[in-house]
Amino acid sequence: MMNAGIAEPAELVNLAGIEELHGISSLHSGALRIGAMTRHRETAADARLVGDLAVVRAAAGQIANPPVRNMGTMGGSIAFADPAADYPPALVAVGAEIEVAGPHGGRRIPARDFFIDWYTTALEPGELVVAIHLPRASSGIGLYDKLARVTGDFATVSVALSVARVNGTCARVGLAVGGCGPKPVRHDDVDRMLLDANLDEHAARRAGDMLAKAADPVDDVRATAAYRRLTIPRMIDRIVARARAELRNAA
Amino acid sequence: MTPAALTLRINGKTRTVLAALDDTLLTTLRDALQLTGAKRGCNQGVCGACTVLIDSRPARACLSLTHTCASRDITTIDGPYANIAQLQKAFAETGAVQCGFCTPGMILSAAALLAEKPQPSVEDIRTGLSGNLCRCSGYRKIIEAVQLAAEAGPQ
Repeated sequence: MMNAGIAEPAELVNLAGIEELHGISSLHSGALRIGAMTRHRETAADARLVGDLAVVRAAAGQIANPPVRNMGTMGGSIAFADPAADYPPALVAVGAEIEVAGPHGGRRIPARDFFIDWYTTALEPGELVVAIHLPRASSGIGLYDKLARVTGDFATVSVALSVARVNGTCARVGLAVGGCGPKPVRHDDVDRMLLDANLDEHAARRAGDMLAKAADPVDDVRATAAYRRLTIPRMIDRIVARARAELRNAA
Repeated sequence: MTPAALTLRINGKTRTVLAALDDTLLTTLRDALQLTGAKRGCNQGVCGACTVLIDSRPARACLSLTHTCASRDITTIDGPYANIAQLQKAFAETGAVQCGFCTPGMILSAAALLAEKPQPSVEDIRTGLSGNLCRCSGYRKIIEAVQLAAEAGPQ
């Protein structure tokens, strides 16, 4: 933004010296806290992002290319809130919470309520993203699939699926679509239906139809809106089938 | 913004420069230190022509603020680093250079890749260089050059 002359800030503040903004830590509760300035490279390589949390790791590993993953941060990416970026659907699917700090103290915002419009988040003026909180990992499964013009491009359409399992039974399903409107596309009814149906084929098809209908894609340089609506159910079919196969293998 | 002096460690040497707080590392390297190997291509982090190594990892000099690079190790194409000389030779031998604008960035990305994976697969090389664009479309020979340097091993 500064190189392009779009932003000419009067002052710059370097946050890099604030330790709690960096790195991934395990909390007593078993939850994971990802500091806002944690690089994509680190997130893509963290062995604690397994089971239903693996969706976040998979999304991090598909962002752009190695130099960008060496430099870019999760906080920077989600605060920018490009709906075709990789983290928004992954964080919504996994049920992440965004920790923010501001002049009136801190608060936590569920990822699904954090992204509110094109490049717009629930951050109030003066607030900063401090960390991203992920729930305690379960033995489930987390998948991220991206359709892009070339490897590393922003998503034409992306789908993120996170399935938590407790004692061999599915306990939570989160499905979100990226690149198809102002914010990740999801619905409580879709998640509940997939859970109740144990991710069967019929439920996958209905989920695809429901989210294609709920999506609000536009025509842009990557694809037409119609192409995206056509693609959503197919990608959901595929990712749910993959999840079924991997859960079967794990059982 | 008012320039301030700082010390940078570039190619193993300590250099003191004046830089404004909003100067990018690319501006400092090219305009203050005359290290013009890092190229100003897109100046927005897309093309990879400005790639340098910061603490041994490829990074965009055009998106790095100079003052945040104090106390980091910066390597440019001029620097002695691992396989740089070997890669330069391999790029020349395989004809992997056409206009040459992308070459310093390509070689630095490849050097970081070989430091991490001395015997990379073609897929590893493609991934490792995926942040560097070549507008002469010389990718095939560039991949061959990295393979040749890998076969030759570290110097």
